[in-house]
Amino acid sequence: MKTLSADVVVVGGGSTGAGVVRDVAMRGYSAILVDRADLGQGTTGRYHGLLHSGGRYVVSDPHSATECAEENAIIARIQAHAVERTGGYFVATHVDDPSWGDEWAKGATDTKVPFEEVSVTEVLKAEPRVNPKISRAFKVEDGSVDGWQMVWSAANSAKLYGAQILTYHRVTNIERDGDRVAQVICTDEKTGEEVRINTNFVLNCAAAWGGQIAHMAGCPDVQVVPGAGIMIAMNHRLTNSVVNRLTYPADGDILVPVHTVCIIGTTDQKADDPDRLEIAWDEVQQMMDCGELLVPGFRKARAIHAWAGARPLVKDSRVGSGDTRHMSRGMSIIDHSERDGLKGLLTIAGGKLTTYRLMAENVVNAMCEQLGESRPCRTADEQVPGSEDKKNYVITHRLEEREHDRFDDQILCECELMSKGMFTRALVDQPKGNFDDLRRQLRLGMGPCQGGFCSMRATGVALQSEHIDVERATGLMRLFLKNRWIGIWPILYGDQVRQTALDNWIFQGTLDVERLPGPTHEEVV
Amino acid sequence: MTRVVVIGAGPAGLVAAIRLAEGGARVALLNKGTGGLQLGQGTLDILGYGPDRVERPLDALAGFAEAHPGHPYGVLPADLVARSANYLRDLVGPALLVGDAASNLQLPTAVGAVRPTALASPSMTAGACVDGARFVIVGLRQLKDFYPELVVGNLVRTDLPGGGRLQARAAMLDLPAREGEIDSTGLTYARALDDPAYRKRFAQAVKAVVEPGETVGLPAVLGLDDHNAWSEVAEAIGAPVFEIPLPPPSVPGMRLNRALTARAKAAGVRVVPGSKVTGFRASGGAVDSVQLATAGGDRDFVADAFVLATGGFESGALTADSYHNVHESVFDLPLRRPEGHLVHGDYWGDPQPLFTIGVEVDEQMLVRHPGGDPVYTNLYAAGGILAGATRWQEKSGEGIAVASAVRAADSILAAAATATDQGAAS
Amino acid sequence: MNASHGLEFAQTEVARASLDHCVKCTICETHCPVSAVTPKFTGPKFVGPQAERFRHGESVDHSLDYCSSCGACTLACPQGVKIAEINGQARAVMKADHMPLRDQLISQTTLMGMAMTPVAPVANAALSLKPLRTVIEKVMGIHRDAPMPKANTQTITGWLKKRQNPATKATRGTLVFFHGCAGGYFEVETSKKSIEVLEHLGYEVLVPKQGCCGLAQQSNGLFDGATDKVLKLCDDLRSAGRDLTIISSSGSCTGMLKHEAHEIMGVDDSRLKDVGTRIRDIMEFLLELYEAGELPTDFKPIELTAVYHAPCQLKSQGMGQPAMEILKLIPGVEAVESGATCCGIAGTYGLKKEKYEIAQAVGKPLFDKVKEVNPEYAMCDTETCRWQIRKGSGAQVEHPIFLVHQAYGLR
Repeated sequence: MKTLSADVVVVGGGSTGAGVVRDVAMRGYSAILVDRADLGQGTTGRYHGLLHSGGRYVVSDPHSATECAEENAIIARIQAHAVERTGGYFVATHVDDPSWGDEWAKGATDTKVPFEEVSVTEVLKAEPRVNPKISRAFKVEDGSVDGWQMVWSAANSAKLYGAQILTYHRVTNIERDGDRVAQVICTDEKTGEEVRINTNFVLNCAAAWGGQIAHMAGCPDVQVVPGAGIMIAMNHRLTNSVVNRLTYPADGDILVPVHTVCIIGTTDQKADDPDRLEIAWDEVQQMMDCGELLVPGFRKARAIHAWAGARPLVKDSRVGSGDTRHMSRGMSIIDHSERDGLKGLLTIAGGKLTTYRLMAENVVNAMCEQLGESRPCRTADEQVPGSEDKKNYVITHRLEEREHDRFDDQILCECELMSKGMFTRALVDQPKGNFDDLRRQLRLGMGPCQGGFCSMRATGVALQSEHIDVERATGLMRLFLKNRWIGIWPILYGDQVRQTALDNWIFQGTLDVERLPGPTHEEVV
Repeated sequence: MTRVVVIGAGPAGLVAAIRLAEGGARVALLNKGTGGLQLGQGTLDILGYGPDRVERPLDALAGFAEAHPGHPYGVLPADLVARSANYLRDLVGPALLVGDAASNLQLPTAVGAVRPTALASPSMTAGACVDGARFVIVGLRQLKDFYPELVVGNLVRTDLPGGGRLQARAAMLDLPAREGEIDSTGLTYARALDDPAYRKRFAQAVKAVVEPGETVGLPAVLGLDDHNAWSEVAEAIGAPVFEIPLPPPSVPGMRLNRALTARAKAAGVRVVPGSKVTGFRASGGAVDSVQLATAGGDRDFVADAFVLATGGFESGALTADSYHNVHESVFDLPLRRPEGHLVHGDYWGDPQPLFTIGVEVDEQMLVRHPGGDPVYTNLYAAGGILAGATRWQEKSGEGIAVASAVRAADSILAAAATATDQGAAS
Repeated sequence: MNASHGLEFAQTEVARASLDHCVKCTICETHCPVSAVTPKFTGPKFVGPQAERFRHGESVDHSLDYCSSCGACTLACPQGVKIAEINGQARAVMKADHMPLRDQLISQTTLMGMAMTPVAPVANAALSLKPLRTVIEKVMGIHRDAPMPKANTQTITGWLKKRQNPATKATRGTLVFFHGCAGGYFEVETSKKSIEVLEHLGYEVLVPKQGCCGLAQQSNGLFDGATDKVLKLCDDLRSAGRDLTIISSSGSCTGMLKHEAHEIMGVDDSRLKDVGTRIRDIMEFLLELYEAGELPTDFKPIELTAVYHAPCQLKSQGMGQPAMEILKLIPGVEAVESGATCCGIAGTYGLKKEKYEIAQAVGKPLFDKVKEVNPEYAMCDTETCRWQIRKGSGAQVEHPIFLVHQAYGLR
């Protein structure tokens, strides 16, 4: 057993938790973040990557629209490397009522979301694949963001301010001392060791899993309902700008270019368990139909991977504390001292990736208030590590780098241009990481071949590192193949069938990977 | 002279074309691109798992076919498979394929699994995984598709098919294939090793890490055009050497592909690469011609018989669209398709139903309606397009390909002979 | 179509869509003649479907210029990825801002021919002078040892004006002959012999005044100029008759008309489509006649064993190697297929000083084969390739129509 202590324990390593731990650390608190898995492994990493201009909410949720517009500019500045300023369009397709655009434009003006009405010709010139039958279009400042990079850079910033980030630490209990939070008990999933953290304050940022955490502290019935949505990555950028449908927010209304792919999203289905989200065939079909509306021929384009994420939607009648200063639409802060009579615990849920920094600011303000302290938030003023040069991501980035290191380094993942150097450096940082952990930072196996050529290379290189023996390396390879398949089989049609057949020829046919000696059950951690 | 169009240049198409041309037919071989041989492991599989590991594939075939209704081996008897495997072996010669179709070799893969195959390149057979073997597996720092530690680590903890264990250790060489190149493919090494001077340097570098009594395992890059390169390397090292096949590009596969393509041309086959067959004309229950979409427009290829050897899903011979409608892409032939959803989510589970879809043939290899009569009187199919096999799991790909190709070719030649006899008689 | 359509097209469209078919199988890489001889080129899979996913408008990977545009990758791809076309388009985009003067000059094929013909002996002498070539290399970046055409004293139009009427009566209809710039100015004999063979078979052959197809500009990324040229040429060829088959003895220019102008530059014009589907390579045409049972095979024997090399741009038309089939019909001729993917010149690629060594290395196996089989004589369908093989092997290299001409007893 190991005992640690910190002013604040942040539970949850998604965008909210990373934003919160950065914020508390920058305000001078000692802080520890714990997550049962890797950073950004939950909802943060399972969405479409849109950095909202606010345009999506100008009618349905004006307050959120304004917040998005403001935060968009801040994030693009402080986390420049994670953000691509793609720009975006709202387009009325032939099944949409173009006159709704008037309402939209009024909303955008009122909410101060920057926009400009542009001609259909201009849209088609910039984005030749967009449906030529669109009748009206507005240009907005949408961008795309790499959620993993966003989370990791926020966490790295927190570390510079003394915070500890403990991934693969599952919270098993929260001990109270009378009406106060006293200790967070975790299990180190990699070693099995129990870790106790003495603390005065717990910020519950576990999002869709937040109800489970609150329950451990003896605060029952916090209902965070997972709202599941599926996303599908297409093999290459069908558009280089974000394309939104000019309608009231609905399913399948957006196409977002992120890195080398573009992502169509999303659906909204109530789920029972955020750890078991299904990607139903009819939802895939629905996305395809929506894609056809935006880009004709979408069904013939190549889908390479699908995933589902769980929006954390708070349904709690006792939320209305009357203190709306800390509340904004779309994000909910539950003060358990008011709700349950427990001091030192705040639960935050809801919100959007775009406004994650603001959510953190709000919840940390609420904490300071409860503690009776006044420490101002500084997270909007300072670049995270790696983004000091304020240069935004551009799609050509890796190709240009490769042009310079092609005589010095091997490429392991050819689709996403991940080099051996990148991989071995990441292994040094995360010696216990599995290939999916490394993938989220390096894009290993995320291109068209979905690991068909790089999985074996990654295994071999990992084995050459000091910490990994052949059983673990082989287990990691098996786990990676299995995990990739989870996102492949629901969209297995068209060109991806050819790829899968070739990948099967390689792994099962040539390498006979099925017949490797055990462990037959892949290592989970 | 009977005219035959063969579509597809994988093992089935090449073997069918050669056999037809050598049997006196005038053959055009139409292929969209390079065939699948050079993507495979460069050996001839007949049956490796059924699903248990198979030691004597020919003996196992009848039982396997019985246990797998609708499998291509149901219409390809063991003696045909044996003859066909030997036919291919003789076509490419002992420099490229050796072994006995009746008995499987157990050879190491590039991740250290022990893989069964029937015929293999002579450059591979010293790698037979038997009790007490002593291997040193040697990798090259500039070659990213081969990690000796992985091969060794898995081989040494494997209970061998014949019982017992083997010993192995790993060694790594820092030897670029070309000056200044850090990211070389196996093919680049193979080309370098075609050069006797490089070969000598290579062998010296390997020799330095070999200990007495060890057999040397190397990535399968020991020469492309020079089929003796591997044995010269072995001689220079002074130890037995074996090649381990890599993921594509597969040098042993390229050797086979080149040898068979050259053989086809020498036999008089007109090879037309690079264009896709996009249409056909049929009348009176027979296919009259296919249309080849060349750069300048469609060109008609008229023939008396047609062999469809286009492969499976990997080549696009079979396509599944976003609604999971599945089509055969040249003739839109009726397919045998399992009931229910075509894909499931268990990567390590049962074979995916999707990949068992294909065309059904009769014993002559005439394409037939599933369970019914031939679709056309002169359309034959061979290889990966045939329904019912999951070749990569069974390790049955080349066996099915060559046997169905030989049978299709022989059926066509026999039909032509009959027609000629009847013509002469009348 | 506006003037910059080609470039816009290259930035946004076409071949890009085919990258979805790529399964990374490496087949294209194994066929690339350039990456076989130098690590400087990252290879067709990398530069094509792989890098294209990282491109948006600009091309940042300048090493793609080592691609010679031979098209072997597209031909070999079983999945239908337009690899060479993606590369060609990326190069055009890359060069749009800083096109070297040299690339503009060497792609002006007709101009060069017209300028050289009247002073052919002087030009030939000058081009064989080392000091002058050194100056050209320094100023223009054309390698001092690069193969250069020999200028002719007579152009094809000059010959057509002066010659006598054909001996055979035209009984099989009328054909249009397309000779290409080289066939008009440098390789006039090929054009003459092609016309004479066709006339011998009983065709009337029309030779309209005709310009350049723009291939050299296209392969150097100069899409606007190339588009203008190819459409002008279509007008020229169509002026001779609207339904007539067009015969060409210039393998690569035929490819430009059949598919490259459309697939690489996005020229979408009914005139191009019309010409592109009516045009036949001359050996392709003879093979079609043979397959239909309409080719006289009363060939006189020629005792000759020699290498036949099918140029890349002929192979990429996807019709196989018709010349091999025709040469089989001539008694005594044993044509040995070169087995080489490319001779290295790839149009103007091998002329450039930074590519010259690569082009020579690409061609070496072919030169060695020629030297081994018959060091005196070899055959090839395209002009620039013949110059390259002549230069590399020392053999006399002619279009295979020469043998057909001779075997028919024509003089």
